[in-house]
Amino acid sequence: MVDETQIMNFILFVMPIFMLAFVLYSIRAFKGPTIPDTVLAIDALTYDLAAFLVILAIFFRSPILIPVAIVLALWVYALDIYVSKYLEAKKELGE
Amino acid sequence: MVTLSDILIVIGEIAVGVGAIIDVIAALGMLRFPNFYVRLHAATLGTIGGAFLPLIGVTLIAAGAEFLGVYRWFMAGGSFITALLILILAPAGSHALARAAHRSRAAIVEPKVVDHLEEDRGGSG
Repeated sequence: MVDETQIMNFILFVMPIFMLAFVLYSIRAFKGPTIPDTVLAIDALTYDLAAFLVILAIFFRSPILIPVAIVLALWVYALDIYVSKYLEAKKELGE
Repeated sequence: MVTLSDILIVIGEIAVGVGAIIDVIAALGMLRFPNFYVRLHAATLGTIGGAFLPLIGVTLIAAGAEFLGVYRWFMAGGSFITALLILILAPAGSHALARAAHRSRAAIVEPKVVDHLEEDRGGSG
């Protein structure tokens, strides 16, 4: 009953909603007054980008995009840990 | 004739659609909220509701879509693993970031009513 064109039309309908969210996150990432704001916006942006890449893998029927999403999710966790260790070390060393 | 694949695909599409709408709401909150600690709420909403839920939906779609060929179980398993990683890593990362931001005073708590954690550390509160 549900065929291929219905799934493709649904993904074409969902894609602009995700892109609008990416634009809003990017505004906060560029504007963010402090370092944690920027890192938090990039954090949310990259997790959503991983989900968007998996949706694109369905759309293009290419399984090569799946490992990219896993690596993105792990990379942005490493960014969080690096930045929080940097902030705490900067406080203990006295700027 | 409604088969099991159709049910999987429809449930997956509902999950992806709801996740996209939650994602836009979280992005609006990220843009409009006043300080870092309030934006933390929007960020965790955007990662769990906007990334975990669509990934589970894509898992169901890929498990039900026969036109993807033999690689559809690879795509379903890979997106499920990504969803589990995000479910574990996103709260841990934002928690570490919030702790570091409060300890190093990198983000100002403004506007605020009271900050007991700052008072316990001997600050102005």
